[in-house]
Amino acid sequence: MSTSSTRTARPLSSVLKPARNAHVQFLVFGALLCLLPVLAQAGGLRNSTLSTLAFVLIYAIVALGLNLLLGYSGLISLGTAGFVGLGAYLAAYFQDDLRLGFWLALLAALVLPTLIGLLVGVVSLRVRSIYLAIASLCISEILLKTFEQLEWFTRGTAGKQSKYPVVFGLQTDRATMFVIIVIALVVVMMVTHNTVHGQLGRALHTMRSSEVAAQAMGVNVLKYKLFAFSLATLYAGLGGALYLFFLRSSYPSTWNLFMSLNIIAMVVVGGLRSIFGTVAGAFVIFAVPELVLKKLPVIGDVAGLPYIFSGVLIVVVIMFFPAGLKGLADLVRRPFQRLRGDRGEAGPPAARPPDSDRPSPPGAGRAAADQTAVKEGRPA
Amino acid sequence: MSQRAVLSIDHLSISFGGLKALDDLSFTIFDQEIFGLIGPNGAGKTTVFNCVTQFYRPDAGDVFLTVDQSRLPSRDRHLADQLGQARLNLVGRPVHSIIKLGLARTFQNVEVVKELSLLDNVLVGGHVDFQATMAEQIFRLPRARREEKVYRAKAMAALDFLGIGRLADQLAGGQPYGVLKKLEMARTLMAQPRLIILDEPAAGLNDFETEDLAQTIRAIRDQYGCAVWLVEHDMRLVMNVCERICAISFGKFLALGAPAEIQGDKLVQEAYLGEQE
Repeated sequence: MSTSSTRTARPLSSVLKPARNAHVQFLVFGALLCLLPVLAQAGGLRNSTLSTLAFVLIYAIVALGLNLLLGYSGLISLGTAGFVGLGAYLAAYFQDDLRLGFWLALLAALVLPTLIGLLVGVVSLRVRSIYLAIASLCISEILLKTFEQLEWFTRGTAGKQSKYPVVFGLQTDRATMFVIIVIALVVVMMVTHNTVHGQLGRALHTMRSSEVAAQAMGVNVLKYKLFAFSLATLYAGLGGALYLFFLRSSYPSTWNLFMSLNIIAMVVVGGLRSIFGTVAGAFVIFAVPELVLKKLPVIGDVAGLPYIFSGVLIVVVIMFFPAGLKGLADLVRRPFQRLRGDRGEAGPPAARPPDSDRPSPPGAGRAAADQTAVKEGRPA
Repeated sequence: MSQRAVLSIDHLSISFGGLKALDDLSFTIFDQEIFGLIGPNGAGKTTVFNCVTQFYRPDAGDVFLTVDQSRLPSRDRHLADQLGQARLNLVGRPVHSIIKLGLARTFQNVEVVKELSLLDNVLVGGHVDFQATMAEQIFRLPRARREEKVYRAKAMAALDFLGIGRLADQLAGGQPYGVLKKLEMARTLMAQPRLIILDEPAAGLNDFETEDLAQTIRAIRDQYGCAVWLVEHDMRLVMNVCERICAISFGKFLALGAPAEIQGDKLVQEAYLGEQE
């Protein structure tokens, strides 16, 4: 019966493989995206389309942060836009007013919103569900009002103007900024993947599933809520800075509730707890109205078309495809996996090499091995 | 058999509103013992261990857990005796700090993460053992990778031990109840606890599974060298597997002793069957 345990699990040496594979996927995805500006320069892609795609990627960064909250940790925030705006204004202030250069501006846009997010979190994360949503909405509205009133910082409703940054002594333009955005997105995807696939991610999962169980397992719930909240704020700040560097202007009215709701829509439509799904969600919610719907006859002239589109889409997804685009992709992929004889679902996964690297439970001798074998011999 | 106490409950009382849920309750669980807590519905069984695990703060009384030196929080290090152990009062400690001291529990209604694989669910039980900082994990630095590998192997061993290793990669959602119950036990084993509390482990299991459970409980005690405390309704399981049993009723102590003694105890019979005319 000693062979019975060899068929029980995958090789331990392959434990880290999924991570590496995912990272390779992200890098390939990024490399492909970097071809887009080249394509645009060759005339194969309109510059306006390239800009739209750049905003998709920026929103994807922000939405990945919200997915950490909504998807993994089960926390809902309606205040994302406020923090994105804060990142944008900080980047502009540090780059154009203080003239501290790209890197310090970027750093400021990352660190300061995160600190403020942490502060807000300490106060608001003690409340649950709908109350957290209300608290975060209040913060966002306060930030919005601040953007309108704090003229030395934001130029108020007249709008803050900026310019393409100089990075490593190189004057950037639309194409190089696009590449910088892609790099940022790939880094964020990797960081998010690492975060959700280790002890951190398991703690977030457990917390969402049951706070009581999480505490019993030793998870300091407040600490992990704060962690998720501040990482999401960091992503928002990064998205804001990239937004400013790319668009070179910022107006308070941009950072309103509609943007926060749109980002929630990206996460929901893309699929909770899916990294590529979130990126796809950002594309559907932001690019489809811009690139497709607006060009259609009659429908294209309807005022507030993007609002209607994302609203209808949220309803459809929640009612019919709760797993979002990610679920849809799985549905399409499944028959192919069966064809290839992928045993992931039906049979036991690939056998692992001999047990040499497998530790026994503490104090377990041969008796334990016998016991395991006996137990496995019986139907479960 | 060693007679060192692993958990001492000392004059524990708690009231909810005007209702006294626990009234001056005391008992002791010994090292590597299989101990049962029984009582009719509403006797306060679950309240006792919610007070022990600090989900409730008792109004009065103490809960002492014997803790190995290696598990002592730094500010309690000086309490260790010559055997390298200390008796810590759990009352007032944060809920999430309890498992680290060597006390792990399961849940009556199975609390697992449906969206995670069985293996990942077990790894949650090792949460407090991870040393890598958040930054090390975010950037997947060597220590984080090494730890993940070590604990994955350990979690796999726990699953194998309970005979559900072949399901390790499957999602917990959709697994049969019996598997989920074992999964919860595997998760407690991950913490290498000195005492495991099983909250109604037989609830929802059929006769065959209950018989299997009895064997599993003994196997856990023998292989992992910990005490097991059952809070249970199923009399057959309790009488079959427990070495000593404490009976309570309306939050009050009734009797403590070997299964046969408890079965013959007049007070216990009255509590369960009502007073005889």
